[in-house]
Amino acid sequence: MIRVDNIKKTFPGANSPAVDQVTFNVNEGNICVFVGPSGCGKTTILRMINRLIEPDQGDIFINGKDVLEMNPATLRRTIGYVIQQIGLLPHRTIEANVALVPGLLKWPRDKTRQRVLELLEMVGLRPGEVGHKYPHQLSGGQMQRVGVARALAADPPIMLMDEPFGAVDPIVRIRLQDEFLRLQQTFKKTICFVTHDINEAIKMGDYLVIVNQGRIVQMGTPIEVLTSPADDFVLRLLGDDRGVKILDLTRSGSLMESFQAPPKTSAGINGCIVQAIQPVKIALEMMMKNNSDQVGVCSGDKIVGILTWNSIKAHINRVSGDGP
Amino acid sequence: MNFYGFILDNTGLVLEYTLNHISLVAVVLFFSLILWIAVGLVISRYDRIAGTIISLGSIVFCIPSISLFGFFMSVPGLGLGRRTATLVLVIYAMMPLVRSVYMGIKSVDPSVIDAGKGMGMTGLQILFKIQVPMAWPMVFAGIRVTVVLITGIATMATFIGEKNLGRLIHQGITRGNADMIIAGAVIVSLIALAIDYIMGRIEKKITSPGLRFEAGK
Ligand SMILES: Nc1ncnc2c1ncn2[C@@H]1O[C@H](COP(=O)(O)OP(=O)(O)OP(=O)(O)O)[C@@H](O)[C@H]1O
Ligand SMILES: [Mg+2]
Repeated sequence: MIRVDNIKKTFPGANSPAVDQVTFNVNEGNICVFVGPSGCGKTTILRMINRLIEPDQGDIFINGKDVLEMNPATLRRTIGYVIQQIGLLPHRTIEANVALVPGLLKWPRDKTRQRVLELLEMVGLRPGEVGHKYPHQLSGGQMQRVGVARALAADPPIMLMDEPFGAVDPIVRIRLQDEFLRLQQTFKKTICFVTHDINEAIKMGDYLVIVNQGRIVQMGTPIEVLTSPADDFVLRLLGDDRGVKILDLTRSGSLMESFQAPPKTSAGINGCIVQAIQPVKIALEMMMKNNSDQVGVCSGDKIVGILTWNSIKAHINRVSGDGP
Repeated sequence: MNFYGFILDNTGLVLEYTLNHISLVAVVLFFSLILWIAVGLVISRYDRIAGTIISLGSIVFCIPSISLFGFFMSVPGLGLGRRTATLVLVIYAMMPLVRSVYMGIKSVDPSVIDAGKGMGMTGLQILFKIQVPMAWPMVFAGIRVTVVLITGIATMATFIGEKNLGRLIHQGITRGNADMIIAGAVIVSLIALAIDYIMGRIEKKITSPGLRFEAGK
């Protein structure tokens, strides 16, 4: 869907390129997360996709078409963009802000209005309450929701989201993330998502692109990156709790010893505790709560296996290479 | 022996001068707004000429008005009268108007412009749907300064034949009639205040409520 081929950008007056040798693909319906420290070039990469910045060299294709050959304004109307600074129009009401792109596309008034109400509802705002307010009357979290609604307004197949949940406290951020992932299950949009928060990256990403000093240092699914970090930089970025993060992405079912046949008695297992599709992290939590070193794993209400502390430990040692 | 009495004793004359004064200010405002707002908008898009134009406005603004009236009066085709008075006052309006439009446009938060661009607005759409409406509070501040300024300087046009309130002041000085001077000055001030008040009302109508908090209202 999006193919970026060896792009490079040096800003006028800069000694080194802000983005260099960057190549990646984003598949249709995926969230591709760009993660890296401040100033590493994430925003610059994103803005080259909708031509707010022109690359010095390299090519960008969307659905096989070279973006450099498209009219920039037309291109941008088909790409939802959530900018890092939110950038709501202060002189327009919330409704008018969300209606911006439909307005540019000359949608009929009724259709636009209906869409706006639907979107405000969708991002968790009460249209009747905030629709007629102005941006300065909203909280930071509310403004970010409006920013997301505005980007979604014309139902673009592609979204560029630059730290869309950056300006809110951790609790609200987690709620916004969860809500967005729930929406994405039905939207199936192709998304480029920028963050400098590795936890957000792992949670939101189908695919991670780790950037440092303008270059890609590693790409892969979250579990690939977690289990085989390319270098010390990635290792540090992932943090000291890499093992726990892996357990959060590993399903209990994949580590259990399964029963050949359902046992007649559930001696020592304490019945159904976790579901096979739940992360191992939950199983660990249950073990601690029950003061036991094993839990029964179920599929629906049928017990299918047993997960032990030893097998979890062995798995961590195997994938992260920390153990003996 | 008071200026109020003077006005009552000379209603016909005072009324004529007042109406002349107002009509001159109105004509000047009409042309100034069209011309200088347009110039302000244009230079906001061409930074290279902006500095030159704004400096030019400031230099002209520093020339004493009486000499400017005198100079243009001697230009063939202008001479004594309204044409010269209008031209000179329009020139005076350049500095406050062009400057406030330019500053207003340039003071718009870049991230808002960036958002507009990122949503697919064209350069002109950004100018007229984002920059201009967001610049209104500053532009209006400039317009209101201009109104007060023009109403005051218009009194000087009496020296090139305008029969306005400047004449009351001028004749009051030559005759040593304080009431006449005060009557002229008070009515000039009242006109300036009244136009300023009307502008204030228009400003409230035109400026988005979303911006009022920024202007501190
Ligand atoms: N318009 C610009 N002109 C000049 N230099 C720029 C411009 N935009 C970005 N840069 C520089 O390019 C580098 C990358 O910036 P970029 O905004 O892409 O970083 P980022 O990864 O998005 O950082 P952050 O997480 O802080 O938003 C930085 O060194 C920055 O100073
Ligand atoms: Mg950035």
